[in-house]
Amino acid sequence: MDMMIYSILSVKNNHEKLNTLLIAMKGISGADLYAVSLDEISAVVCDIKRADLIADKTNAIEYAGVIENLAQQFTLLPMRYGSLMESTDLINKMLERNYHEFQQNLQKVENKCEFGLKVFCDSEKLITELRAKSEADIKTPAKPAPEIKNSVYRDWVNKKLKEHRLEELLLTYVDSVIAEITGTLARLNAVTKFKKLSTETTIIDALFLLEKDKKDELIQTIEDLQNHYPRLNFVLTGSWPPYNFVETTIK
Amino acid sequence: MNENKVLFNTGSLDELSEEIGKLTSNEDSKLKLTPDNADSGLAKLVLTLVELIRKLVEKQAMRRVDGGSLTEAEIERLGETLMKLELKMEELKKHFNLTDRDLNINLGPLGDLM
Repeated sequence: MDMMIYSILSVKNNHEKLNTLLIAMKGISGADLYAVSLDEISAVVCDIKRADLIADKTNAIEYAGVIENLAQQFTLLPMRYGSLMESTDLINKMLERNYHEFQQNLQKVENKCEFGLKVFCDSEKLITELRAKSEADIKTPAKPAPEIKNSVYRDWVNKKLKEHRLEELLLTYVDSVIAEITGTLARLNAVTKFKKLSTETTIIDALFLLEKDKKDELIQTIEDLQNHYPRLNFVLTGSWPPYNFVETTIK
Repeated sequence: MNENKVLFNTGSLDELSEEIGKLTSNEDSKLKLTPDNADSGLAKLVLTLVELIRKLVEKQAMRRVDGGSLTEAEIERLGETLMKLELKMEELKKHFNLTDRDLNINLGPLGDLM
């Protein structure tokens, strides 16, 4: 029997509170949860057979549910699904080896939570607009166009060049939206992470880490941004445990 | 996703649902290597990598063309090479019964490969 670690918690002097909470909760497949503690931090674990560790939707939801419930009461570092150790003794040693780094990360996320922002667009409409702009630019080049030979290869290059310029225009547009979001969120002291054009319709996939009590201000900020960019669709989700803002390599 | 996790949204949640759907059922974009399909599985893996590199080369080439650092003759030669590479890829995809979608592996939270 192995032990799966759900998260590392900052419990300080609240071990009793944690134990009471764990008694009322269940892990994946109804497993009992318990804490392995070292001074002010605890690892929340459950016993599990390695063969039962299936990465399916049900287990993932149950796993996330445990972390979510814990995050409502404690500052925590979520662990990756399937983090197994063989005994409480080994978990204790791991906590000891990484104590300083865990504490540093816990301080970084203390009283904060994560929010996700996805910005979708009607990609066809946006591309049509950008294409129209691109064609207008080509019609009025800043420098004289070089003499263009008519060949099948040159035509192919011209076609690809047009697509390339369109992509560049799209990227420039996305960068300008990101700059606007970053500028607006600066007053909330949010830590931000952005991914551009992750799918055909998702032009921005952003994550924010900010203080829990700034949630309403964040919602208002996103509403203002939505009004500023009516052709984009802003979807804000949260609050989440700090899944994407913990940077630690466990020794 | 739990409804109360959506804090702000004015439009439809179709795009979000679609994206979550892709993450939970990206069967088509997975590399399925088994003893029975080792040939086609390996072809898909190799062609995915080749296509990724080909697209990167093409992108870099277009940057250079756009930058104006190539002569007309160089652009012509570049066009010929890249076009032939594209045609060869089409041929290989057809041979192994693969589509563009098959070669664009979904990398989960990282999005699509290409």
